[in-house]
Amino acid sequence: MLTIILVLLLAVCAGLGYELMRTRRQMLVLRAGHAESEDELKRLQASQSQVIHTTKLASLGQMVAGVAHEINTPLGFVKSNVEVVGDLLDDYRKLVKQYDAAVQICLQPVDLIFNADKASLDKLVKHVEEARRKLFEARAAVEKSPLLKDAKELLGDASEGLAQLSSLVLNLKGFSRVDRDGMDTMDLNEGIESALMIAQHQLRDRVKVVKQLQALPKVRCMPSQMNQVFLNLITNAAQAIDGDGTLTIASKAEGGQVQLDFTDTGCGIPDDVLPKIFDPFFTTKPVGEGTGLGLSIVHKIVKGHGGTIKVRTTPRKGTTFSVSLPVNGSGATAADA
Amino acid sequence: MTDTPAPLRILMVDDESRILRALKALLREYTTFSTTNPLEAAALAKQHDVDVVICDQRMPEKVGVDVLREIKETHPRALRILLTGYSDLKAVLGSVNEGEVFRFVNKPWNNTELRDLVASAGQIAREAPVIARDVLPQAEHDRARTQVGVLVIEDDTAVQQRLREILQPYYKVNFANNAERALQIMEQNETGVVISETEAGRSDLTALLKALKLHHPHIATVVVTERANAATAIELINEGQVYRMLIKPVRMGTCRLSVDSAIGRYWQLKQNPQAARRFVAAAPNAESSTSALRLPAALLNRIRSLPGRLLGTMRA
Repeated sequence: MLTIILVLLLAVCAGLGYELMRTRRQMLVLRAGHAESEDELKRLQASQSQVIHTTKLASLGQMVAGVAHEINTPLGFVKSNVEVVGDLLDDYRKLVKQYDAAVQICLQPVDLIFNADKASLDKLVKHVEEARRKLFEARAAVEKSPLLKDAKELLGDASEGLAQLSSLVLNLKGFSRVDRDGMDTMDLNEGIESALMIAQHQLRDRVKVVKQLQALPKVRCMPSQMNQVFLNLITNAAQAIDGDGTLTIASKAEGGQVQLDFTDTGCGIPDDVLPKIFDPFFTTKPVGEGTGLGLSIVHKIVKGHGGTIKVRTTPRKGTTFSVSLPVNGSGATAADA
Repeated sequence: MTDTPAPLRILMVDDESRILRALKALLREYTTFSTTNPLEAAALAKQHDVDVVICDQRMPEKVGVDVLREIKETHPRALRILLTGYSDLKAVLGSVNEGEVFRFVNKPWNNTELRDLVASAGQIAREAPVIARDVLPQAEHDRARTQVGVLVIEDDTAVQQRLREILQPYYKVNFANNAERALQIMEQNETGVVISETEAGRSDLTALLKALKLHHPHIATVVVTERANAATAIELINEGQVYRMLIKPVRMGTCRLSVDSAIGRYWQLKQNPQAARRFVAAAPNAESSTSALRLPAALLNRIRSLPGRLLGTMRA
């Protein structure tokens, strides 16, 4: 009897031991699997931040191209004017010199008059008459010269150009928020304005921009991300419009929310494409032209701020993207972009 | 007693009036006309019989390339300069293929360079005769294409094959896959049109094209390229005065049209060598030039001494 129990016990022990070993093996397998998926996760996270970084670089490139164009025009005339004014001043100095020479000629006979005899006095009168004529001419030349007026006008343009340039730089700083990152309060209308400036070179020849911006309360958000959202939506609208068209941007505040509508008169989004537009890597653009990340990042950023984004579209008529954001997005866990 | 010639007449077109004022002040020794409305530019050019047109590219009513193309047709005597703040490739290609611009200038410009450019352009516009149309009457064209050699410089055999199919039936075509071979052909055959890639193998061909045009401005060059970038294209306009610039893959129709009118251009310049001044290239700018490779002196000398007889120049 005892032997039987002992044997049974041994058998149970062996069974348990076997079971234990199996569990341990499984655990090892699981642990390895876990490590593997953790690696996979890390890799995915890395590639995602790589992707976001790439998109940031792409929008930086777009920004540089846009701004280069906006800067080169004022830079063109400011630079030219400053040099030309220098030339004009040289020309003016020549006129003044001629005037001065004429004055000198007039002064010469004065000394002679005091110790002159009758015959030379007649000669002197002739000289004085000639000198007076020269002086008169030189003075008229100085007075009538448009040089100073022209110079002043050119400097006026130059200083306006410089004002344009500094507002561009200010806008750029505002857009990229290089000086402060992270959460802040922001007037979203300002963000829209600076994004429009950046996208200017894609719009200016053909897309008319209608702004219906109402006064907005400041919104708690990550301004650099908001600007990326605006730039993306504006660029998409510009690309959806083939030839001439209109982009209407409207903003309003309602019940603790700010709503922004971007409406284009572009090609619209076909029904089969619509469900996929916010998917990462989905793009309808030819290979090499779109990353397929624009709208997915827009979506991610808006979601991260506790907001929503909606699309209304009619093929061949146009599309409206409506972004709605809470004014006090205190609970916002902004996207890590 | 010599009359001092009347000052040059310059038309300036830009939607930014401050640019116009700046140019007017810069070019104050000349008679200037200006407008912010590109739609009236062509009429002004003709009305005032201007010598030079300086035109912005990006304007809301009409782009500069279209303005210049119109002026090329209605007032061909004027030399055309495109002045732009941002050069997208489309604009650059348009300015060659449609506007046939004399120079492409970026904003902000250099005052001395722009003033010198306008002076020389104005002088050429007054002195050099105009070639009204590049396309020749049929009979003359047939004569031209049996005499004038077309040289293709291309090292990609597939593209070579494609161009052979397009060109062989109509023209006297020769093929070279590098600069050395190209020169050999030009030394032995009358060559009026050069069709070329911007590079062959790892060597840059733009320096060759520029030198060729600098010394033999009557040769028409058609650049066929895969990797088009705006900066190289602008350089090829200013320093290479390319006749046409085509992007690969080459389409038969466009290619034939370009070669036909290139032959017409060469043929007429051959008979009217003075007109070639209108297509003279700027000396390469050592600073701005992106072509990393300078042309070896030996090749340069061979380009310089290419026999005028074979190139159709009628130098005394």
